[in-house]
Amino acid sequence: MIFNSLSFLIFFVIVFFLYYFLFKENTKYQNWILLLSSYFFYGYVNWKIIPILLIATVIIFTLGIAIHSTEENEKKSSWLATLGILLGIGLLVYFKYFNFFIDSFSSVLNTLGLKSNIGTFNIIMPIGISFFTFKLISYIIEVHSGQIEPSKDFGVFATYVAFFPTIMSGPIDRPNNFIPQLLSKRSFKYDLTVNGCRQILWGLFQKAVIADNLATIINGVWDDIPNQSASKLLLIAILYSFQLYTDFSGYSHMAIGVGKILGFHITKNFNYPYFSRNIAEFWRNWHISLTSWLTDYIFMPLSFKFRSFGNWGLILAIIINFILVGLWHGANWTFVIYGLFHGLLFIPLILTETIFKKNKLNVNKYGLPSINDFFKIIGTFSIWTLSLIIFRADNILQAWNYFLDIFSPSLLNAPKFTSHDLALIFIIIIFIFIFMLIEWYGKETECPLFQLDKMKNKYSRWVIYFIILLSTIIFTGGKQVFIYVQF
Amino acid sequence: MNKTKITQEVEAIFRKVFDDDKLVINMTMTANDVDNWDSLTHMLLIVEVENTFNIKFKLRDLNKMKNVGDMIDLLVLKIG
Repeated sequence: MIFNSLSFLIFFVIVFFLYYFLFKENTKYQNWILLLSSYFFYGYVNWKIIPILLIATVIIFTLGIAIHSTEENEKKSSWLATLGILLGIGLLVYFKYFNFFIDSFSSVLNTLGLKSNIGTFNIIMPIGISFFTFKLISYIIEVHSGQIEPSKDFGVFATYVAFFPTIMSGPIDRPNNFIPQLLSKRSFKYDLTVNGCRQILWGLFQKAVIADNLATIINGVWDDIPNQSASKLLLIAILYSFQLYTDFSGYSHMAIGVGKILGFHITKNFNYPYFSRNIAEFWRNWHISLTSWLTDYIFMPLSFKFRSFGNWGLILAIIINFILVGLWHGANWTFVIYGLFHGLLFIPLILTETIFKKNKLNVNKYGLPSINDFFKIIGTFSIWTLSLIIFRADNILQAWNYFLDIFSPSLLNAPKFTSHDLALIFIIIIFIFIFMLIEWYGKETECPLFQLDKMKNKYSRWVIYFIILLSTIIFTGGKQVFIYVQF
Repeated sequence: MNKTKITQEVEAIFRKVFDDDKLVINMTMTANDVDNWDSLTHMLLIVEVENTFNIKFKLRDLNKMKNVGDMIDLLVLKIG
């Protein structure tokens, strides 16, 4: 069930009614409504994956209480915490990486001239596993480090893990932020609901108008790379950057918006990454809930461990961290290379100490950046776009061929499209331009549409909402599954 | 070394790491209150504090430091 579907709309209206009207003011019942609806939402496509989520939740809930009750005995408490973390990692490794490891091991044996008959297994990966296991692991770490008390209410904990707006693709909320919200009273708040609706509208526009329309064109080109001109491959690579961003940012805005309607403040996932001036700034603004998770639980301990090696210790910690960022996306060497590539991009920033200085992006009286910053933004976007070729490719060879084909003489020829695709691309590029313009002028707010509050005339505001909604209805692309659901 | 002296030394470290001669620290100050205080500069701070006071933190110590006051209290405990 995707957010931009009729089935989700019906589902959400029912949940909303039960949540606010039937069980209003009763937090306990509201949480149970959320829990049951979350499990319904999660099992809607394939109910067989529900036991995995439920069993993992029960075990981690029990371990949380056990860790807390044995905190006087540090050794036992640490042992239980390690068990919980290994369980989370084990879930991920089994469902997501097991076949990848077998396959890679088998390839190494074959390369060494040894015959291997190790077959891979038919393992179905539960949707959202990368997201909910990270929630489970962070819960164990936070309880063990004494940052939070373990939850005594299974319903509350299970709702935190399975919360339907975020279970499929995040944002990955931390227990410190989310569990207290589940314990507090939630009544209908008009302002928060309006903000949520605006954020859903903005997310829907991005997803339906830009991402879904781009998907059909981009997928077609990627299915037939050898027969494309270099200029077309370059254009498609650039457009893919916008597809990925609008798809994932669109999803995140909708998830956060749905959360707001239910009275929750969900962690934000994007902070206008395409206006970043270097790759470090970019990663502070892209998929924030994942990068901050890895920063806290992987990068910080590693950089602390390597601190005696100075800058090179820092570089090593960053590279390991980014390989894991890549690998988090899936069991494929392309993701490892993608992560490594981004990790390596940090080296000059650390050696020149640019990374430690965060200068605010200044604009002139027309709201435009300096020439210097403009070129830095373009440069960062270009590097990102190139890295996404590795990210999008099925395997390293395909990525390599894509690169080779881009840097060929046909780069100077105009890209050829059918008249239908050409018209579609032209319309999408106009929408991308408008989208980026709205993002640019709204970049100081959580969602660019929030800046419409500055307008005194409420009718003008409604006209803008109506135009966005109408554009979304008229130009909506074929419904495509959100890209990040596969991760 | 008493708490006042430690606080002065820590303030000097903050000014050096964040390249701000006018930075004044207080006990409730957190990363949210200082521009550029992120995971990277936090590690620079830790290394500078360790070198200045000739001590070694444990990873567990890092988790306990929720604000500048926690850091100074920990230093008082270690060297005071």
